[in-house]
Amino acid sequence: MSGLVRSATGDFVQRGFARMNRTLDEDAPMADPANDFMRDYQALAQQSWDAWTRQLQQQQQPSMAHPFFTPPPATAAGSDTLERTLSGLKGYFDWMQAVSASGAHPPSADWKQQLQQLFGAAGEPFAQAFGGIDSAGAEGFARQWQSWMQAAQQAGFTEMPGFGKGSAPAFGLNREQQMQQQAMASAMFESMQASAKYQALIQRANAQGMERLQDKLAEHAEPGRQIDSLKSLYDLWVDASEEAYAEIALSDEFREAYGEMVNCQMRVRRMQQQQTEQTCQQLGMPTRSEVSSLGERLQALRRELRSSQAATSDDPHARELAALRRELDALKRQLGRGPAAPAPKKTTAVRAAPAATRKSATAKAAKKPATKASRQTATAKLSSKPARKPAARPGPATTMPRRSPRKRK
Amino acid sequence: MYTPLRIDPTRALGDIATFQRKLAAGMASLRGMQEPEYANTPRELVYSEDKLKVWHFTGHGKSTSKTPLLIVYALVNTVWMTDLQADRSMVRNLLEQGEDVYLIDWGYPDGADRWLTLDDYINGYLDRCVDAVRARHDLDAINLLGICQGGAFSLCYTALHPDKVRNLITMVTPVDFHTPDNMLSSWCRSMDVDLFVDSMGNIPAGLMNYVYLTLKPMRLNQQKYIGMVDILDNPVELENFLRMERWIFDSPDQAGEAFRQFIKDFYQGNKLIKGTLEIGGRPVDLGMVTQPVLNVFAEQDHLVPPDASRALGRHVGTTDYTQLAFKGGHIGIYVSGRAQREVPPAIHHWLHARS
Repeated sequence: MSGLVRSATGDFVQRGFARMNRTLDEDAPMADPANDFMRDYQALAQQSWDAWTRQLQQQQQPSMAHPFFTPPPATAAGSDTLERTLSGLKGYFDWMQAVSASGAHPPSADWKQQLQQLFGAAGEPFAQAFGGIDSAGAEGFARQWQSWMQAAQQAGFTEMPGFGKGSAPAFGLNREQQMQQQAMASAMFESMQASAKYQALIQRANAQGMERLQDKLAEHAEPGRQIDSLKSLYDLWVDASEEAYAEIALSDEFREAYGEMVNCQMRVRRMQQQQTEQTCQQLGMPTRSEVSSLGERLQALRRELRSSQAATSDDPHARELAALRRELDALKRQLGRGPAAPAPKKTTAVRAAPAATRKSATAKAAKKPATKASRQTATAKLSSKPARKPAARPGPATTMPRRSPRKRK
Repeated sequence: MYTPLRIDPTRALGDIATFQRKLAAGMASLRGMQEPEYANTPRELVYSEDKLKVWHFTGHGKSTSKTPLLIVYALVNTVWMTDLQADRSMVRNLLEQGEDVYLIDWGYPDGADRWLTLDDYINGYLDRCVDAVRARHDLDAINLLGICQGGAFSLCYTALHPDKVRNLITMVTPVDFHTPDNMLSSWCRSMDVDLFVDSMGNIPAGLMNYVYLTLKPMRLNQQKYIGMVDILDNPVELENFLRMERWIFDSPDQAGEAFRQFIKDFYQGNKLIKGTLEIGGRPVDLGMVTQPVLNVFAEQDHLVPPDASRALGRHVGTTDYTQLAFKGGHIGIYVSGRAQREVPPAIHHWLHARS
């Protein structure tokens, strides 16, 4: 495929250039032939892009849909370079086409208007760079909302009084479920509102990026500094957009909007989890809360065990035993039979050794008295010179160079 | 009056054609490529516990350092940034300087690790790793090199266990989490972290990566890949690019409780410099860090702003404090050519003067 695309594209471009050159040579009005050429060229370029994309996407595995699970919005979560690359390049590719089409017209005296034309048509492709921020999360949430609505409709909750209209009294056998669904509906509405606020800020960053681009371009108005390539214009746009985005992203308004959006989404997620757990309980299945609770208790037990072991190691006999074991290990190492370990996976260069010996050194390590070292560091702190005696091997005090004297408060 | 835009249509078409050509040709290159390996500097496993491993790098020569250096990496991303590729390996470079290098690989937490706290990580795992290295060398104290969040852990550890640390090096380590240019900190300040962790459990790596990408969305979601098109015909450069991609996106989930505590106490509460931080019920006082400290940070760091690191000098208790500002970013400080020339030699010389 790639060869076909390459040769087809190359032939077409050559023909196109020849046609354009003829047009220029004849000093004929550029509009129609050039536009025809652009249309043809864009159509072919789009075809080759689509073919290239399809070929790469054949390697992708479709994700399994699940009504109550929204994966993290980043497509990067799949660690797929090709997918990330494609989504990033597509916007750029579309923009280049749009700009080249605009550029076929005579340069406008009003360059700001020209800029608006260049980027106005490219608004959608360029939104893809921001799309990693706003659209993925929003779309995921919209899907989630639709799935939930379908489930609620099937269960008949949408017919109940007060549904989707804020809190309202609930009655009868399904009172609790009805209340839950009302709460869920409210939480989802709030979440969508919070996402909308966030997206509005992203769009503001995009708009301010354009304003900054104009400012930056104004600095390139002199001969020799003019922007003469698509890539240069694109890079300048990235600089401008990142600056605008950073300013907004560091604002208090953004902080509040970000926090509200995350908190709202988490509230919805929590409610979904609670409903799922209720269903699991009815079916006699273990729930996430139960498993998590067991994990918490287990970790607490592990801490207690460690603490008990540490207390035991404070026993003088235990310390002496540990010291003897360390000496034994040291002797073993000197004799060349010391602890070693297996090679890591995928690492042929790593030294391999039996795993059985690897914990021995640590398990037998004991905490050494700290008094001597503490005294030494305390002395160093009081001294006007950064003198310090090695903590591990007591000996004569050593004067240490002070590279960058620190100013104390 | 000249117009700043002089985009020649012919040249624009040429750019598009070139772009298309490179893409088409590049697909063949990409399709045939295996996942790039990391540097895999020779190493041996010296300690393991749960999912954690402590590696000892053996290198090719004998170390000249009397005190081993234990690298404490962050819980986010994998430790292999320190040993990314043969000619861009901080570990390998430190070995060549004569350091005896150990590295904590925290592993990939799963549901079983949901309740690991900062106390478990710092007073538990990290302390036992330090003990393991101390025991191997029969030393009371070793040198620590903490990176990013691992630097914050190392500061806490040194304050809590001062007798076990001889010299402390912090790299791109956040200390003041409330500097005005800290985007991550700003974003999480209004988050209900309890609700977040209660809902999510462990924090998925994909979500973490997504947040990092949104720090510079245009550069990281698009411009970077457009730049890649230019190197599609260069197998070596392409392999380097893909290796970095592998590292960026092959990252571990975050243990829920440790994440909750780190966000609340460090990012939201800024307790490390306020002196109100407690780990495992014990107060963490940076004034207790009286060991020599070398603080290395990156001047163009978008994750840990330089001022967030510089703050250490005002709060640490030592009288022997050295600061090294590196001209680069959060990642470049490990893998750039300049970093290879500047950072490991500086670390070695600083340690050597205090051996």
